[in-house]
Parts: sequence; C-alpha cells; structure tokens
Amino acid sequence: MTEYVIIGDGISGSSAAETLREEDPDSSITVITDEGEALYNRILIKEHAKGKLPEAPISIHDEGWYEERDIELSLNTHVTGVDTDEKVVRTHEGEDVGYDKLLIATGGTPTQLPVDDSDAEGIHHFWTFQDARKIRESAEAADDGVVVGAGLLGIDFAAVCGAQGVEGKYLMRGDRWWRYALSGQGAEIMHDGMREVGVEPVFDSGVDHFETDDDGRVVAAVDPNGERYECDFAGVAIGLTFNTEFLGDIDLEQDNGIVVDEYMQTNLEDVYAAGDITQFYDVLLGEQAQNGSWGSAKEQGRIAGVNMAADGEAEAFEWVSSYSITHFDFPFLSFGHPTLGDEYAERKYSDTEWRRIAFKDGKVVGGVLIGDLAPQSKLKQLMREQRDVADQKEVLLEETVDLDDLAPPQEQ
Amino acid sequence: MATTTSTGRTLTLRRVDSVAADATVRHIDQLDENALELFYAALEGARPLPATGTDLEPGTVVVATEYYRVEAA
Repeated sequence: MTEYVIIGDGISGSSAAETLREEDPDSSITVITDEGEALYNRILIKEHAKGKLPEAPISIHDEGWYEERDIELSLNTHVTGVDTDEKVVRTHEGEDVGYDKLLIATGGTPTQLPVDDSDAEGIHHFWTFQDARKIRESAEAADDGVVVGAGLLGIDFAAVCGAQGVEGKYLMRGDRWWRYALSGQGAEIMHDGMREVGVEPVFDSGVDHFETDDDGRVVAAVDPNGERYECDFAGVAIGLTFNTEFLGDIDLEQDNGIVVDEYMQTNLEDVYAAGDITQFYDVLLGEQAQNGSWGSAKEQGRIAGVNMAADGEAEAFEWVSSYSITHFDFPFLSFGHPTLGDEYAERKYSDTEWRRIAFKDGKVVGGVLIGDLAPQSKLKQLMREQRDVADQKEVLLEETVDLDDLAPPQEQ
Repeated sequence: MATTTSTGRTLTLRRVDSVAADATVRHIDQLDENALELFYAALEGARPLPATGTDLEPGTVVVATEYYRVEAA
C-alpha cells in the first residue's frame, strides 16, 4: 500500500488528495495543515470581509469529507522538517509521518511591509479565512483606511473599504494600479472604479512608516513624501513569501518557489509540489512560470495526484489561468501571463472597456480584459493553440473578435 | 432579474442582494471556461443559459460583479 503525504490543505492539496483516492483506492493518504479548519473557498473570503457573504457558504469540506474518503486530516499541525533520505515528515508534536510520495502544497504567507510599526494593531494582511474574519470586524469599526500594494491582492482591501464604508486612501508607489500589466488607459478605468466606491488612489506614494497610539493601534500612515494619512484600518498586500522554511537545507531546487516540471515533479525523487508555491514549467509559455489563481492551483493538485498515483509522467499540466475582479460595476479578467509578453496590443473602447493582449515570440501568452469579457474564450483558444498571431493585432483588437478573420495558420 | 428565458431546459440568472447561510456559492473564477462563457452570454442577454452542459445547478449563487442566483426557467 502506497503512503501519500500532502502538506497543505488549500485547493491544490485537497484536489490532489481527492485525485489520489480516486486513482489509488487502497492507498494511505495523509493531509497535514497548520490551519485550524478544513478546505475553504479562498477566493470568496474577500466577500466575507466586505460584509456581503456569511461564513457558512465559504466552507468547502468539513472533516466528514475526509473521513468518508479515508483520508487522514491533521489540522493545527506544523511541519517542522522533511527528511527525504528517511522519507519522513516531522511535525511540531514530534511525530514522524512516513511517506512513499510527498506533495508540498503549502502556498505562501503575506509579506510584511518592512517599515516601522507594520505589525501594529489595525494593520492587516489578507490570506486566510481567519484573516478575513478579523478584517471584517476591524473594517466594520473603522472610519479611515489606508491600503498598500498596487496589485491583484491589494485591490481586495480597497473593495473592503468601499463595501464597509471606510474612507480609503490607496497608496501606490508608482503612477498607476498594477503597472506591470496595465497601461495608463486601462489603469484609469480601475482608478475610477475605486473612486466610485469611495477609495482615492494616491500615486507616487507608499508607506514610509506607520504611527501608533499608546495602545499600539495604528493611527496614521506616512508616505515617503512626508504626507500623513490618518487611519484606523490598514491593509497591506505587497506579495507572498512562500512557505518553504520547514524544508531546511534539503537539496530541493527553489527559485522564488519550488521548481517543478510540467508533471509537478521536483528535482527530488518522490517529492512533488503544487499550487501557488510552484515555479512550474509552462508548456504553453515554454519556460518556468508562476500563477496564483484558484483554477491553476486546483489543476496542479489534480495533475500531481495523477502522476503520483501513476508513479510516472502520466499527464502534463497545461492550463490557461483566469483571475477576475468583481468589486466594481464592470467586470475585469486577466488570463495567462499578462506581464510576460515581449510585445503588446491594446485598445480602449469606452470609459469602462479596455483590452490588452500580451504576445511572446508572436503568440498570445496572456491579457487583460476590462468591461467586455466576450473575447476571453477566443483569446485563450489562441493561447492554447500557440498560433502565431502577433502580426494580426488589428483582428484581435476589433470590438468583436472573429477568429475566421485571422490568416490561416502557416505550416511549420 | 438579469436574464429571463421562457424556452424549455434553460436557466435564469436572478440578481440577489443577500445570500442564505445554507446556499451554495461559487466565485466566477470557479466556473470552467464553457460555463463562464455561457454565464456571461446569459448575463448580457445574448442567449439563455442552458440547463445542461455546465455544472451550474439551480439554487447556486454565482459571485460576479453582482450576486446571481441560478434558477430554473
């Protein structure tokens, strides 16, 4: 009987456990997590923090789900080390859990802002359900908020401020939100969306330090220009630090995440990784890449499970990811790798409609759609087919994209 | 109501302001690509949401720019 151990019970770890049980019914499966609750819907916790969604629908699995599948779930359990020679996982309780095959799906932890008083009461990071509960409670009582981190995670804090009636200032280091993927035109639509919900973007700013009262509560953020912004609520989302400390000095290849191939295999025999933590080989991009979307993490877990059970390279990970922002009146969707192009095409169609497509080596590798999402499936199809279309940008920027208008693919 | 249809074997999307504790809720990023396309087409009134071919069940609430409950037409 094969013994599988999965560290992490997010969507990738849980997806792997489910797949392993289907693929290898007689195996032993253990899932270890340091969280105190079983799998929940991480992309819905922001709705809870906004005060719009109750807790119950966010839970995905209760402990009974694991019992029914004969999966051993260890909650509140910290992994302190992995010995890949002995093939054991060590826990904080001094237990050694043996494995034949190991999956690391531990994700990340929000990076703390490296400034004074960044751990003061009232300053929040957003990753777990428990974070969301605290953010909701804190935002409900707050009047003035500051948000730091001009990316896909930071904008959730802006939405919390908007939904909870907190007057927000969104302090950005550059001249626009998500400057790596959006031009000024696209970003301005997002800035207008923020203003609509009562959050004012502040550019060429950021946080130099926080100020606190005698009780250690945040009272203001001061930006590098010396501007002071009073706040009794602050959200920091400047990135993730991947949870790899417990791996110690084992010879696992890492590069801002754990390096895996398209089968989710690491460089160490019988050790796999899946989810946000991976630097995976993207067969569509032709190079290592990273992705934090729900769908990508779920699929990586499934692929890892298939290949672990097969004890071979049974199925490769090939996926076009999507990430939506649903906080404003207009929809927003980024797909693939919108920041990794070597050329781009973009167009604004109205005050709330904008499109940008990223190409690499002539092929679509990602994009951002604001307002009108209708072209998303066609653009993803082109990405999957790896068609050389960068010389036909006009067709892809038409308001209605018709793939029949593209020149036929050239024989290679 | 965001979209209504009267033909057989289709689903309706009804905008809702609140969600019951026992509701099944899915974020739009959880829909597969086919369901996502059909969902947006139905939302824009382009075509009805078919009752088969997606894993959207009546009663499910989908979180998009608003909350929409899937209902039998």
